[in-house]
Amino acid sequence: MRKITKRHLMTVLPLGVALAWSGAALAQETVKIGFIGSFASDAGGLTMRGAQIAIDELNEAGGVLGGKKIEMVAADDGEDVTEGIKAYEYLAETEKVQFIISGSIDDVSLGWLPRMTEYKIPTLDTWTSSILIIDKLVEDFETHKMYFMNVATDEALATLYVDFGKDVLAGQMGWKKTVILQEDTAFGAAINGLVTQLLAPEAGIEVVDTIVYDTATVDFSPIFSRAVDSGADFIYIIASVNSQVVSSQYVKLQVPLAMTGVNVAALGQEYWEDTGGAGGGISTLSPVPSVGFALDPQSQAFADKYVAKYGNERPKFPHFNGFNAYFGIKQAFAAAEEAGGFEVDKWVPAMEKQDIKLEKDGQMWMRYGFWQPGEKEERTGRTYPHNIRFDITPPYDDGAPSMVVVQWYENGEAKVVYPPKYATGEFQVPSWVKK
Amino acid sequence: MIQILIQGFLLSGLYALIAVGFTLIFSVGRVLNLAYGAYLMLGGYAYFYTVQQLGVPKLPGFVIAVATGALAGLAMYQFLVKRLKGDHVAVEISTLILAVVIQAAIVLLFNESSKILLPIVDGVWRVGSASVTNNILTAMVASWFILGGLMLFVKRTHLGRAIQAVSMDAKGAMISGINTDRINLTTWAISGALGATAGVFFASYTQLNPSMWVSPLIIAVAVVIVGGIGSIVGSLIVAHIIGFMEIITSSLIAAELRGVFTMLLIIGVLVLRPQGLFGRGDL
Amino acid sequence: MGALVTKRQLALWLLFAVVMLALPQFVSNGTLRIIIFANFLAIFAMSWDFLSGKTGYISFGHPFLIGIGAYATAILSYRFGVPIAASIPLAVLATMIGGTLFFLPALRIKGTYFALVTLAFMELMYQLVQVIRPDLTGGTRGMSGIKTLLSGAQPNFYFSFLLMFSIAFSLWLLSRTRLGTALDAISMNEEAVSGSGLNTTKLKLFAFMVSAATAGIGGAFYVHYLGSIAPRALFDINFVFTIIVSALIGGASTIIGPMFGAFFMTFLLEYLRPVLPGSERYLVYGLIALVLYVYQPKGIHRIIEDLRKGMGGRGKGAADGKAA
Repeated sequence: MRKITKRHLMTVLPLGVALAWSGAALAQETVKIGFIGSFASDAGGLTMRGAQIAIDELNEAGGVLGGKKIEMVAADDGEDVTEGIKAYEYLAETEKVQFIISGSIDDVSLGWLPRMTEYKIPTLDTWTSSILIIDKLVEDFETHKMYFMNVATDEALATLYVDFGKDVLAGQMGWKKTVILQEDTAFGAAINGLVTQLLAPEAGIEVVDTIVYDTATVDFSPIFSRAVDSGADFIYIIASVNSQVVSSQYVKLQVPLAMTGVNVAALGQEYWEDTGGAGGGISTLSPVPSVGFALDPQSQAFADKYVAKYGNERPKFPHFNGFNAYFGIKQAFAAAEEAGGFEVDKWVPAMEKQDIKLEKDGQMWMRYGFWQPGEKEERTGRTYPHNIRFDITPPYDDGAPSMVVVQWYENGEAKVVYPPKYATGEFQVPSWVKK
Repeated sequence: MIQILIQGFLLSGLYALIAVGFTLIFSVGRVLNLAYGAYLMLGGYAYFYTVQQLGVPKLPGFVIAVATGALAGLAMYQFLVKRLKGDHVAVEISTLILAVVIQAAIVLLFNESSKILLPIVDGVWRVGSASVTNNILTAMVASWFILGGLMLFVKRTHLGRAIQAVSMDAKGAMISGINTDRINLTTWAISGALGATAGVFFASYTQLNPSMWVSPLIIAVAVVIVGGIGSIVGSLIVAHIIGFMEIITSSLIAAELRGVFTMLLIIGVLVLRPQGLFGRGDL
Repeated sequence: MGALVTKRQLALWLLFAVVMLALPQFVSNGTLRIIIFANFLAIFAMSWDFLSGKTGYISFGHPFLIGIGAYATAILSYRFGVPIAASIPLAVLATMIGGTLFFLPALRIKGTYFALVTLAFMELMYQLVQVIRPDLTGGTRGMSGIKTLLSGAQPNFYFSFLLMFSIAFSLWLLSRTRLGTALDAISMNEEAVSGSGLNTTKLKLFAFMVSAATAGIGGAFYVHYLGSIAPRALFDINFVFTIIVSALIGGASTIIGPMFGAFFMTFLLEYLRPVLPGSERYLVYGLIALVLYVYQPKGIHRIIEDLRKGMGGRGKGAADGKAA
């Protein structure tokens, strides 16, 4: 052991002075693209697999850009901001990729964003819904125009929630007062701000108390006690980082108050397995296609392919970003065909025009199109350049549904409960809550 | 008010349980085992894997989890601590590296997403607006039993007295014929087992995830440092100070400041009274 | 040992600088990008080393200092439009004030206890950044789109190397003076130093200030290189791990050791990427660090010294001669 270590060191030490990176020679007949995201997280893995299925299809159909094969290089960001920047640099400088598809989470995407503007590599995000990134495009479009995001942003999410509150929580359940439990994150603060502002005037639901808690909270019992004592009709939860803790303690403690809101952990099919079933009754807003979402034939075909290929390893079924990556890659290459490659000034306008409309039973079901620069969304009165085109104004038929509300029933089934067009089940109150 | 008392005692019991294994190592070896949080993680994941994934009944699953912790403690002493004999800083740093390595291993085996442990003991009842689960109640009772048992063990048994002797004066103990190496090994194994036990309860309180080792480590450090080294009673009292402080902050002041007070307490006590509130003062 | 600087040592420094500055002619931009990170890590590791390696006051909360520097300049330039030329010096000043705060516990406690207070400082900072004025700090998501000084791999490489090199050289010179020797003595036996008539409090304060200033400079330029900042990336136990391990693997208290340690750790992680692209990488990286550290806690610097002695030769490589 001693000998090996010394020899090892002798060869490794001179690194600092004499390093040479054996950059693999670029084979002429391939188009190299990159994936950035965490390999060990569901989010990252799904984007990578969704993209890979699309790439395989394109390659089997004879290749792209005049018969070239697509090759995807993956770089792990480990859900770490600094590692994300290094991974982006690796894809850009060492692998010299032409396009990047990302499954990064919020702060990681924001971390590598300055690198994207420097390298000017067309990039598509499939997981993060951070409005802050879209705001960058609003502020300085020219610099950030190579960026696209095919998940509806937080704004759409909050607005849909207000509708859900008006139609279901106030209308159907007759609830008038809520207490907000907000995880202390920027995401939480943003959603809380929007919801608090809109809930009373638009849905007629009064916010009687707001409890902000720290992400590392061990024990939620005092927080739930305070919520119960506040006299609210239901709890509105906003949790993204450690949302399983709050929801499982809610179930374990059988808190006598209904709870709904945003609970990022409950978005995936693995939720039931991960919580060992201690997650029944939880409902959350979800990007589409969500769990329990009825799929159109094209999305279904992708899901079948996914299950056939990856069905034995976690995650066994695609979450929304798996679909987003699949359709996103198709669109990115369709745009590249039109533009003759990924040269930003030509590719961006071509990508902006991409519009996949997915129909189910003769009506529009899902849509992968983008808001154009300067185009205003009526309801929120602002622009969302290069964000997926969503519709939060009834009757939900011109864009993809901005979000849906899903609920995990106590028997482990997941259903879409709102909006009505996409609903596969009804909103329920957990059995231990007295109505 | 009554609910603050109930919730305070429950949480403090859990914190005392988390800290006890850490106290043990700190008083015997005077070293900080920064991989202590990893015992909790290993215990929690071992229980999750055996009970929730393999379907082993709860009790054997629990035994396996505790054994995993004890083995980890043994291995840590045998392969790390013993080699770095006497160098406290080296032990602290190598255990820190080890914790990061174990975290990477957990990511590899179980992936990054959080997992929920089902309650070890089912059932819930309500006092006013407070809910109390039997699971948490068990954790509190277990922590009292374990602490009491540990005190009896240290004071009454031969092995326990030997541990105490080593903790007070390792050289003296060696001269009087105690096999310090064996005592150390035993202490590390017990500490690992206690850590894993706490880990199963902690995880059933919160969740399993690869970075879950940090917050119990901070709790343990706070309890031991503020309580003073080698004082089991001191640790118990401080676990209650920290537990109650947290409950009061969450229910009456502002829940997001929960951790801030703990940090201020650590800094304040360390600067003003480095030997801890109840320590022997032998720094 | 002494306050002597030999011509041979200066020649080796010069050689090092020349080789590094010639590097862009021979290696790819991807490699340069990695070296830029290594340069910043080297600055942080040297800052840690000047405080902890030299005086023996082990800091587990160095990101506290680095974070003050990084956040101060980020907030000033991004939120208030202060030019970088002013915001960086102000950030360094802020870091030194933070360093004074760091120093206060060192008047009373040392060893493990001091290490823990510094860790608590970092945790406190992590929580406060998110709770207090998130409109300024950006809360948990941090800030993105902070002005960068230069763009492109090569300019950033030259700049970060020159920054790192000048810091390394100054710290090295400083540690060769009588002051540096006295600091070393504190780690051996503080009482003896104070018994010999030196004011240990002043000496310690000096070490803290130098370390804080270095951390502040490093942190401030780092954030203007990255263009973004997030609390999770800074006030993180994994970041502490990387800094300390770089310094120790290289060889604590030698200034040069941490510099090479930083290069070693950065390249280890990056060279593993093509072989092990996933999370196995962090496992292997951690294991190598662990084995290396347990094998020789005094670091590569000592291993090379031992090797040289074992071979009975003199002046084998570049690194060992300089560090002697």
